[in-house]
Amino acid sequence: MNDQSTKNETIDISKVEKILEDYKNTRGAVIPVLQKAQAAYGFLPEPVIDHIAQSLNMSADEIIGVATFYAQFHLKPRGHHIVKVCCGTACHVKNAKALSSKVREKLKINVNETTEDKLFTFEEVSCLGACGIAPVVMIDEEVHGEVSPDKLNDVLDNYKKSGV
Amino acid sequence: MKTIHLVIEDKPIIAPEGINIFQASLDNGIYIPGLCYHPKLSQFGGCRLCMVEVTERRTGHRFACAHPVSEGMIVKVNTPKVIRYRKSVMEYLLVHHELSCPICDKAGECSLQDITHELNQSPSRFKAVRMDYPMVRDNPVLELNRNRCILCGRCVSTCKEIEGIAAIDFQNRGIKTVIGTAFDRPLECSFCGGCVAVCPTGAWQDRTLGFKGRSWEFSKVPTICPYCSVGCTIILNTKMESVRRVTSDDYLGINEGNLCIKGRFGHEFIHSPERIKTPLIRKNGELYPTSWDEAIEYVAKRFQQIKNEHGGTAIGGIGSEKCTNEDNYLFQKFCRSVLGTDNIDNMANIKSPALNGLIYESVIHGMTSASLKEIEHANTLFFIGADMTEAHPVAGSMARKAIRLNNANLIIANVRGVQFNSIARNDIRLKYALGSQIILINALIKVIIDEKLVDLEKVETSTNNFDKLRSLIDKFDREEASKITGVTQDAIRNAALLLTKPGNCYIICGKDIEENPLAEDAIRALMNLCALLNPAYRGDAGSGKVSLFFSRSHNNSQGVNDVGVVPGFLPGYVNINDASNKEKIEKSWGVKFPDTILKKDAENVIDLALNSKLKALYIMGENLVVNYPNGKKIKEACKKIDFIVVQDTFLTETAQLADVVLPAATFAEKEGTFTNMGMTVQRINKAVKPVGDAKPDWQIICSLAQKMGHSCSYVSPKEILTEIETISPMYAGINYDRLKRKEFHWASSVSNKNKSTRYTFSMVKPRSSEIRKNKDFPFVLLTGASLNHQGTFSRHSKSLMSVAPECFVEINKKDAQVLQINNGDRVAIESDQNKLTLKAKVTSKLPERVVFVSEDYEWVPVNILRDRVHTSVKIYKETV
Repeated sequence: MNDQSTKNETIDISKVEKILEDYKNTRGAVIPVLQKAQAAYGFLPEPVIDHIAQSLNMSADEIIGVATFYAQFHLKPRGHHIVKVCCGTACHVKNAKALSSKVREKLKINVNETTEDKLFTFEEVSCLGACGIAPVVMIDEEVHGEVSPDKLNDVLDNYKKSGV
Repeated sequence: MKTIHLVIEDKPIIAPEGINIFQASLDNGIYIPGLCYHPKLSQFGGCRLCMVEVTERRTGHRFACAHPVSEGMIVKVNTPKVIRYRKSVMEYLLVHHELSCPICDKAGECSLQDITHELNQSPSRFKAVRMDYPMVRDNPVLELNRNRCILCGRCVSTCKEIEGIAAIDFQNRGIKTVIGTAFDRPLECSFCGGCVAVCPTGAWQDRTLGFKGRSWEFSKVPTICPYCSVGCTIILNTKMESVRRVTSDDYLGINEGNLCIKGRFGHEFIHSPERIKTPLIRKNGELYPTSWDEAIEYVAKRFQQIKNEHGGTAIGGIGSEKCTNEDNYLFQKFCRSVLGTDNIDNMANIKSPALNGLIYESVIHGMTSASLKEIEHANTLFFIGADMTEAHPVAGSMARKAIRLNNANLIIANVRGVQFNSIARNDIRLKYALGSQIILINALIKVIIDEKLVDLEKVETSTNNFDKLRSLIDKFDREEASKITGVTQDAIRNAALLLTKPGNCYIICGKDIEENPLAEDAIRALMNLCALLNPAYRGDAGSGKVSLFFSRSHNNSQGVNDVGVVPGFLPGYVNINDASNKEKIEKSWGVKFPDTILKKDAENVIDLALNSKLKALYIMGENLVVNYPNGKKIKEACKKIDFIVVQDTFLTETAQLADVVLPAATFAEKEGTFTNMGMTVQRINKAVKPVGDAKPDWQIICSLAQKMGHSCSYVSPKEILTEIETISPMYAGINYDRLKRKEFHWASSVSNKNKSTRYTFSMVKPRSSEIRKNKDFPFVLLTGASLNHQGTFSRHSKSLMSVAPECFVEINKKDAQVLQINNGDRVAIESDQNKLTLKAKVTSKLPERVVFVSEDYEWVPVNILRDRVHTSVKIYKETV
């Protein structure tokens, strides 16, 4: 336990402590607590999980069981911008694979990884529900339709320029 | 309970309402294949194998484990359609499951293998995709091979529901799902091995077995665990006269197949190379191997000589909490009738001398009438001074079952914040100040009386002395009590409210209460509380049960006292000075007790030795030097004894002082009976031949008696038990052969006989036990049980030693900060008696100014520090 806390020294536990105050003695608190903790930290760091486990009187193993089940929870730090390349049927037909390769090549990361500068996280998703404008890439809350690899290159450059 | 009539496989069946088809079939001997359902676990419904055809209003297919029985239901287990379905499920399961049966320890007892075989499973239509997870081998006793896992979830449920730990869970989702720990950290659990026991495949394995035999080669001998006083049934798996592993049986004994780390993995001591294999005799200051003839002759000669010169009373005897009832009975008979001494005792009685009398009284009054297994049916559980998780883990599992299935309420009162994980809705923890237990109990009584939580008029008419108790309690102030105990008035009140709720209320009185100097008062106060809680006075008149359990340390700590290895009391707690009983026993044994036996000195065996009144000491199965709670005193006492005979399985610290050491057989190598802390007598069975020349204790005693000219010709423990039955009315109705099938609970037969006894309340003044404050030694040393170790056996079990190699001193966070002690630092604990260096463990469980050291790490002789129960110590960081 000790070396883990030193490894993650930068984690500020007080944020999660505050969240947990509202959920004292509440049954079924795990998911809302995890959601709020993720909103506060951007992801779910190990010391935070341990702290949640202790306060909710559960084992960390159980909590991780929940956290790894839902796609909404992330155990690794995420970038400032989330790049979601749609791999649904329509996008696939319109060569979404080329978009994924572009991201990989441009950001030098694989799926579910984050760039070293913590600017981008790359994810592939099943369907964004915008098949009419396939292929689709969604960056944060913004949807980019009918993207070509070159267009995607420019879009990413724009995000890079504007930085954090 | 409402019953349901249904038909399964053309067999008419009556089943209780609410159970599922799977359980109903199981109860009626109808087989439905299934991998995830387990009767002792909650329903999961994951393996999809137990599909059956069900006709209720119309015919359809249902999962047997997830569908409740209903009136008039017709169930078919083996229709062609069901079998086709089942085969395809197996086909899917086997796509991923590596078929490593030839190198899997589970082969032969693997449900997956059996079902594959039984379905005549043909080669799969699919391409087999084998997983390639690395073996998880991060601890000494359990290993997990995820490639063999079918994700049935049994281990996850066991860990959560039975052990209350949840050290493992499903991780990830879909095809990537595995069983594992958070962040793949090493397994941190109690190592009960429950996961191995319930695993239907070879995913979880017992590393103590590790390819030491195939499952079909083992002969399986059910017997009773030799560690704590719960008395779990364990199955010794033997091959070629050696115990290869321990398994459990869900349908045998009181433990439903649950065991703790000691029970399941602590068997290696049986074949430890350090066992004593021949008698040893001291010549020129050294112990040398010798023959049985020489050893017995020498011991007999010396005993006779001392008896002739100084009288029989100059010989003392220490019986064993680990030996069988028959061994102990014969031991006291030998001491009393052959040696002519009543200076015998056992460690349990030495540590808490008032306990035997109180337990017997409690049994007579019907307050200790339940057997341990009944804890499962509790509605309210009250653990006072008991650390269930460490001391009686499987009884803790029974409690968790009550909490899970009956919604039982839980109250835990302890000086330390003991760990007990539960999902109880009402879970009250009363962390009382050291020494204030009597005040706490009286405060509970006061709330009950003040708020009329029970029918006080009925109490008054059916008991004696209630008015006196009332006036005593009236003077007692709740606020004051709250101040002294450090427990809020609200918490005390809530606890009292839970205790008086309808249903079964079981109270477990722990070692902290029993070994306290004020034990007698505290237990009497608890008995008062029990008397008040009698269901007859509560709302639910008559239904429900109240029972008080007394913690005992070892497997037969209860039995050794029951069969009379206690000064002044013959078997069955018969006072030796009671003329009629004495005569009966004299007649039966064919001896006449010398008058010297009856003139009882107030001193116990060790005091006699200290006062040089003891010339010889005969110790059977007890490491006296380490376990006696005053290290200095016992050392001096042993020095003053001329002749010490130790009969044991290992060369313990005590045996090293002996003049003659006689090698004894372990529990696995002999027959007999053990009595657990719930007064249940259970039979142990011989699984292997004794190692070397070791002999069962009763045989050794027999040959000694014969050598000393007494007839002692028992051929088996059966004869001894029959004799015990004729002598002690307590055991009336016990039958050695019947014990093989059914345990015997002596408390219920004794309390049934005394049903009409009226309870008289004892006046227990609410007072705290005095904790001597000392400026030089500002801390108080508490000792207690350990989950991982107990006695001589665990220290010679390799696996237990590697799980828990070191004994820690626990210290409160604040104190640690002041003393600048960190986790793992080497610290010295010093009392005015002695000094010990241990590693520190900083915890928030303890109150300030209290340190805790377990006394079950036998090689860490914490008793050398102690001269009383609450020894004052100082603690400081050891500088290198």
